[in-house]
Amino acid sequence: MGKYILGRILRWIPSVFILLLLIYALVFFGAGDPIKLIFLRAPGDVAYDEARIDAIRESAGLNRPFFVQFGDYIGHIARGDFGNSLVSGRSVNEMLSAAVPVTLKLGLTAIFFLAIIGIVLGVVAALNQNKLLDNVIVGFALFIWGIPVFVAGPLIIVFMVLGLGMNVPFGWSGLFHPKVIIPLLVLGLNPMAIIIRQARAGVLEVLSEDYIRTARAKGLPRRIVVFRHILRPVMTPVVSQLGLIVIGTLNNSILIEKVFGLPGLGRLTESAIKDSDYPVILAIVLIFSIVVMASNLLVDISYPLMDPRAAAKKKGDE
Amino acid sequence: MATKERKYSLTKDAFNRLIANKLAMIGLIVVALLILIALIGPFITPYDFLSQDLMSRNQPPTSLHWFGTDDLGRDVLSRVIYGARTAVLVAFSVTILSFIIGTVLGSLAGYLGGKFDSFVSWLIDITMSIPSLLLVIVINVSLKPTLVNWMDAQFMATHDEFWRNTIWVDFAIVFGSLALIKWPKAARIIRGQILSIRNKNYVMAAKAIGVPTSRILTAYVIPNAIGPIIVSFSATLGEAMVLESSFSFLGVGVRPPIPSWGNMISDGLRVWQLYPHVLAAPALVLAIATIAFSFLGDGLNDALNPRQWK
Repeated sequence: MGKYILGRILRWIPSVFILLLLIYALVFFGAGDPIKLIFLRAPGDVAYDEARIDAIRESAGLNRPFFVQFGDYIGHIARGDFGNSLVSGRSVNEMLSAAVPVTLKLGLTAIFFLAIIGIVLGVVAALNQNKLLDNVIVGFALFIWGIPVFVAGPLIIVFMVLGLGMNVPFGWSGLFHPKVIIPLLVLGLNPMAIIIRQARAGVLEVLSEDYIRTARAKGLPRRIVVFRHILRPVMTPVVSQLGLIVIGTLNNSILIEKVFGLPGLGRLTESAIKDSDYPVILAIVLIFSIVVMASNLLVDISYPLMDPRAAAKKKGDE
Repeated sequence: MATKERKYSLTKDAFNRLIANKLAMIGLIVVALLILIALIGPFITPYDFLSQDLMSRNQPPTSLHWFGTDDLGRDVLSRVIYGARTAVLVAFSVTILSFIIGTVLGSLAGYLGGKFDSFVSWLIDITMSIPSLLLVIVINVSLKPTLVNWMDAQFMATHDEFWRNTIWVDFAIVFGSLALIKWPKAARIIRGQILSIRNKNYVMAAKAIGVPTSRILTAYVIPNAIGPIIVSFSATLGEAMVLESSFSFLGVGVRPPIPSWGNMISDGLRVWQLYPHVLAAPALVLAIATIAFSFLGDGLNDALNPRQWK
């Protein structure tokens, strides 16, 4: 088991490294001169004074070869230093430490609640296969899978304000403030659709197994069959979607934070794009990729815990 | 005695199942309408999508302007119709592009196996583990300035008006980055299909009795693989449309003045308290279009893969 986890982590590290290298190269060769980018906004004509630009570049070490600078950047990141924003001059760490908790809290809460609701709905749908309730739930899942969050969010706002005369849920005042409910709901809609479908398909598959028929035949109450025999094997396909769900939630949080004015990573991303603030963009990309890869790692690790056959199979693959 | 022989072909069977599915038919009709509107767009728009009428700004829907006008006095209906052109153009180009890449890499990986297969699989895993919006953002902020500078230089050298038009840069970047996000899915499906069919007994038997490869491909591999590929093609169409809108919504996709439902929603978000129709029109249309794609995709899935979800 320990060897399996270690193997996964060892495979994960080079992927992160290559990703970093790619992104750094894209920005390094594509984005243009960072010194000019800084001083284009400064008063005076510094950006057009070649001699001064060269001097600054020399002193900042920006005329060194690509790989030396990349190594330097990696070194800084390893020490937890993401550099300074080109626009405000503030340290990126500071900006991140304000924004990351908001997105993290929102995302984790959304995933947690919608996983529970999704699994319950999926199991209920499967147990009532092809009846009205099943059709309603499957239709609902298709419906919420179809609507993008940046469409659902505004439509809900318009409906709440114009239709119901309620206040706009705008801004952030902590996770336990009631106005967080609407963004949470919208954020979780798409992932919930995935979970409903996976759970439903999982239950339907398990229902046809012999041991379920045996359990029913020996007179076990339906409730116990569902909780003891059906729920456990259904967890595996649901958890296998975690990586997809995390990516979806991250994408959606970028969009939803703009709609509801939440001061999280999404808003930071948007302003960083507008200002071409490369250190911030690099840091955000890095954080997002690490979160996604870590959740994939978590899935890989939790597979053998839930289903010991998976570990044996994986070992056979490699 | 002549008995009437009923033929049940794979396609006919699937077609019948699709026809019987009401939700899928609704989806199909809406998608067909959307494509039709996109094709004949310029002939049915009541106004030019760019023409501003500053005397009638922010008007609610009237008989003159069915969806009202926006803050520059532009007709929202005409802009929504042009938005459909953008959406359909992007959806089809991206899907076709990513399926070309996916088919080449996926089928080569499936056939060759070995090192090349593990390389492609690794590439697929890495690409799929990057949040798509971030990938597009990085491509946008890094490549766009370079491209625009290069086009400026071309204009300075040639004074050809073509190089002044940066709309094509927007579109090219949207096409390229979306294809970059979407090809792994196509490649994975095609590779999986080829792997599973290649090792089926009937294919091996056909090979053993000397059926030529071209006949094996047309008679066994393609008919068996085509179902999941069609399903994934239609799903990718819908996803590409949504992604284009969300990029445009964030300001990294198709930019104003070219209308895209995404940048119209973004515009509408600034004024929705006073003029909700500016926000509601593109949002509702996009919602209807994506739900139609989702219904159609699900119906196709049920029709072409009858063993799934049962």
